[in-house]
Amino acid sequence: MKPVASKGNLRFSWQGIFTLLMYGFMYIPILILGIYSFNQSRYGAIWKGFSLTWYQKLMGDERLFLALGDSLKIAICAVAISSVLGTLMAVGLSKYRFLGKSLYVGISYLPLIIPDIAIAVATLVFLASVAIPLSLWTAIAAHMVFCLAYIAIVVSSRLQGLDPNLEEAALDLGATPTQALLKVLIPQLAPAIVSGCLLAFVLSMDDLLISSFTAGGANPLPIEIFSRVKTGIKPDINALSVLLILGSGLIAAFAEYFRHKSERV
Amino acid sequence: MPRRLSHNSSLLSRTSRRRFLQGSAAVLAGVGLSNCRRTVGNVDTAASETTAAAPSSGAAGDGVLHIYTWADYTDDELAAQFTEATGIDVKIDVYDSNETMLAKMQAGGGANYSLIYPSDYMVTEMIGLGMLTELDKSRLVGLDKILEKWQSPVYDPDSSHSVAFSWGTTGLLYNSEVLTTPPEDWNYLWENRDVLSRKLTMLDDVRETMGAVLSSLGYSYNATEPAQLEEAYKKLLDLKPALASFKSFGWQDELLSGDLLMSMVYSVEGIPVSLENPKFKYVIPASGSSVWTDTMVIPTSAPNVDAAYEWMNFNLQPKVSQETVERLFFATPNGEAMSMLSKELLDNKNLFPPEDLLAKCEGIAPVGDANALYDEYWTKVTSA
Amino acid sequence: MEGGLRPEGRAINLSTIYQGFKSSLRPLGLLGPAGLWLFLLMVLPTILIGELSFVPGLKPGQPILGYGLLNYLRILEPTYLQVLKRSATFATGTTLLCLLLGFPVAYWLALMAPKRWRNLLLVLFILPLWTSSLLRTYAWITLLRPSGVINLVLSTLGLPTQSLMNTPWAVYIGMTYSFLPYMVLILYASLERLDLSLLEAAADLGANPRVAFWRVTVPQTFPGIAAGGLLVFVTSLGDFVVPTLLGGPSSMTISRLIYNQFLGVARNWGFGSALSMVLILMVSAAISLLLKYGDRNPEMYS
Repeated sequence: MKPVASKGNLRFSWQGIFTLLMYGFMYIPILILGIYSFNQSRYGAIWKGFSLTWYQKLMGDERLFLALGDSLKIAICAVAISSVLGTLMAVGLSKYRFLGKSLYVGISYLPLIIPDIAIAVATLVFLASVAIPLSLWTAIAAHMVFCLAYIAIVVSSRLQGLDPNLEEAALDLGATPTQALLKVLIPQLAPAIVSGCLLAFVLSMDDLLISSFTAGGANPLPIEIFSRVKTGIKPDINALSVLLILGSGLIAAFAEYFRHKSERV
Repeated sequence: MPRRLSHNSSLLSRTSRRRFLQGSAAVLAGVGLSNCRRTVGNVDTAASETTAAAPSSGAAGDGVLHIYTWADYTDDELAAQFTEATGIDVKIDVYDSNETMLAKMQAGGGANYSLIYPSDYMVTEMIGLGMLTELDKSRLVGLDKILEKWQSPVYDPDSSHSVAFSWGTTGLLYNSEVLTTPPEDWNYLWENRDVLSRKLTMLDDVRETMGAVLSSLGYSYNATEPAQLEEAYKKLLDLKPALASFKSFGWQDELLSGDLLMSMVYSVEGIPVSLENPKFKYVIPASGSSVWTDTMVIPTSAPNVDAAYEWMNFNLQPKVSQETVERLFFATPNGEAMSMLSKELLDNKNLFPPEDLLAKCEGIAPVGDANALYDEYWTKVTSA
Repeated sequence: MEGGLRPEGRAINLSTIYQGFKSSLRPLGLLGPAGLWLFLLMVLPTILIGELSFVPGLKPGQPILGYGLLNYLRILEPTYLQVLKRSATFATGTTLLCLLLGFPVAYWLALMAPKRWRNLLLVLFILPLWTSSLLRTYAWITLLRPSGVINLVLSTLGLPTQSLMNTPWAVYIGMTYSFLPYMVLILYASLERLDLSLLEAAADLGANPRVAFWRVTVPQTFPGIAAGGLLVFVTSLGDFVVPTLLGGPSSMTISRLIYNQFLGVARNWGFGSALSMVLILMVSAAISLLLKYGDRNPEMYS
C-alpha cells in the first residue's frame, strides 16, 4: 500500500516539471541579485570573492535613505487618506442605487485600466494648467487616485460576502447609522481594509512614472533607483534590492495573512 | 508602538488634509480662470508667487540649498566643504541632458532648485524663455579671476545671467587593446561599424550627437540648413543598428567589462577612466568636436537665492575650483585656479587640448527655429 | 403656486424634501470625497489632455493659439506608426508567451498540486510581484548583458554566447517575467472552479485527454484566459521600465515616446497628449473586445 500512496503523491507529470522550471524562472534573477550583492568585483559577472563592502556603502548612502524617506512619506500619506475615502466609497456603492451609478463605478475603475504613463501625463498637464507647482504634496495627491481605487476594490469584494443583517440589527437596537458603520461594519471590514492598504502601499512604493511627473523637490526611491541604473549601475543597488526584497516579502506575508483572515471570518 | 504609529499617521493625514483643502480651492479657482487665454506649463513665475505665499509648499522654506546638476557633477566632498563653511545644507538632484533639465523645469518640477548648471546654448535658450535671474554682480566675489574668454561669452554677453563653471570637449573613448588602429575622426564609426557592432554608444544628447554627425559630413555643429540636417539624420540612422544604446552616463561599467568597445563621451567622464586605466584612450576627433561650457545660474523660480549666491562665491574661490578640477577632471575657466594646477594636469592634452585642435572645435550655439527640426529628427532617430 | 392654496400639502412636501435632502447627505458623505478626488485628478486631467491633443505642437509656456488635427496626422507618419506597431507587437507577444508559460503552471497548481499546499504554492509564485519592478528588471541586465551571468554559464559549458541585451528579445523576456504572475493568478482562479464532472463525462463518452482538454477545459476557462490576456496586454502596452532598461536604441514604444514628449528632448506637449489619447484608445479597444467576445465579468460593486 505504502509505495503506491507515495507514488500517487509524487507523480511526475510534465506540468509538474514545467512548473518547477517556471519557479526557477521567477526566482533565479532575484537569487542572482542576492548572490552578486556579496561579490567583491565592481562589474561583470566574474566572482572575485565574498565581501560586505556593498552593504557598507549602502549604509553610508545618505541619498538613498533620503529617497526612501520621501517614498515612505508619499506612500503613508496617500494610503492613510485613501483608506478612509476608498472604504467610504465602497460602502456607499454597496448601499445606494442612484442615477449615474454605473458612470461612477466606471470612473472608479479608470485608475486601474488607464496606463500609468497616460495618468501621469494627464495629471502633470492638469497641475501645470492650474499653475500648482510640483511638490511632495502633488505626488501624494496623484498617488491617492490609484490607492483609493485599489482599496475600494478590495473592500467591495469583501462587502459582497458580508451579512447585511448585522448592521440592520444594530440599527434596530437603536444605533445611529454612523454608529452602525463605525462599530459594526468597519470592524468586519478591517482585514480587507488592511490588505487593501498594504496592496496600495506596495504599489505606491513601486511607482516610477506617476512620481516622475508629479513630484517636485522630492526624489522618491524608484526615481533614484531608475536614475542610478540609467547613469551608472553600481553594485550597491544589488545590496539595496536584497534588503528591499526582504522588506516587501515581509509585507507580502502580512498581506496574505490578512487576506486569508478576511476570507475566513 | 502600534499606538504611537497610528497617532503619527492620523497627525499626518490631518495636516495633509488641510493642505489638500487649500489645494483644491486653488484648483477650483484655477479652473475658473483657465477659461481666459491660457498657457500650459512653465509655471515657474507663478510658482515663485505661490511659494512666497505659502513657503511650506515644497521644500522651499527649509533653508536647504537645492541644486540641480549634471549626473557627473555630484561631488559630495564639495557639498560637505560648503556646508562646513557656510552652515547651509545642500541637496543635489541630477539630470542627464540639458533638454531633460529644461523639460523638468518647464513642467514645474524644478520650483525647489536654487541653482542649475546649464550648458552654453541652453543658457541662451533659458534667458530667452525668461527663466533665469539677472545676476547681481555686486554680490559675487572673484569674477575678475575668470579668463577673458568667459567674461563675455557668445551665449551670454556680459555674463549677466551665468557664471562659467567648467569647460571641456566631447570625444571618443575606446578600448585600445581591441581596437588596434586608433580612431582619428568621426568617420571611423561608419568605416568600422562591423567591428563596433552593438559595442558602441553615443551620447543621449541631441545637439552633441547630431552635431558630431554634421561635423563628419563637413558641416557646422550648429547647422540650420534643413537639407544638411536631413543628410545628418540619414547618416545617423545608417549607423544606428551598430549602436548598443544612446547614453551619456553609465557606460563605464560596460566599457570596463568589455561589453562595449567605444563610447562617445564628455571629456569630464572620459578622462578619469583613461587616467585610471591606460588601455582606454580618449581622443578628440581630428576634424574637431564640440567644446562646451557649463555654467551656474539661478532660475527665476528659485527659493533661497542667498544660498545660491553663497554657492557661486564658494565655487569662485580659486582653491576650491582647483580642488574640484583635481577630483572631477574638467577644465576650469578660472585663471587663478589654473595657475595652481599641477604640471601633470596642465600638460594633459585631453584636459587642456592644444590651441590648434581647439580652434577646430565649435561651441554649441542656439539654432533658433531650427530647434524644431533638431527635435523632430532626434525623435525620429530614437523612434526608428 | 398651487402649494400656496393648499398649505397642508406644502408642509408635507417640505418635510419630504427635507427628509430626502437628509438621506441624500449620507450617500454624498460616503461617495462624495472619493468621487470629487477622482473627478479632479482623473476625469478632468483626461479631458484636458484630450483638448490639448488638438493643439498642434503645443510647447510648455506657449499660449494656446488654435486647434487642429496636426498632432494626430503626425502620428500617421511611418516612423510613429512603426512605434505603435512595435508596442502592439511587444504587448501581443508578451501576452501569448505568458499564456503559453502560465497555463501549465496554473493547471498544475489548481488541479494537480497537493491540495493542502496549493494556496502556499500560489502565493510563492506571485510573491515576486511584491518586490520592486525596477529592481526585477535590473536583475535581467545582470543576466543578459554580454559579460553577464547567462553568457558566463554558456561559455563555461562551451556553448556559443548570446547577445540578447538591448534587443527586442530582452524586452519580451523582461515583460514576460514581469507579468507572468498576473496571468497565473487569474488562470488559477478560473481553473480552480473547473467542473471536474464534465471532464469525467467526456472521458466516459470516449474522449481522449487531449480532446477533453480542448473541448472541455479550454472553453470552460475561456473567461479566465481572456481576462488574464487582457490584463497582461494592457499592462505591457503601457509598460515603460522594461523597454527603457532592456530594449536598447531600437525599442521605442508608445509609453517611452510619450515620456520623451514631456520629460525628454522634444517637449511637445500637444503631440504627447495626442499619443496619450491614442494609448488610452488602444486600451479601451482591447477592453471593449473583451466585453464583447469574452465573458462579462460580474459587476464588482453590486
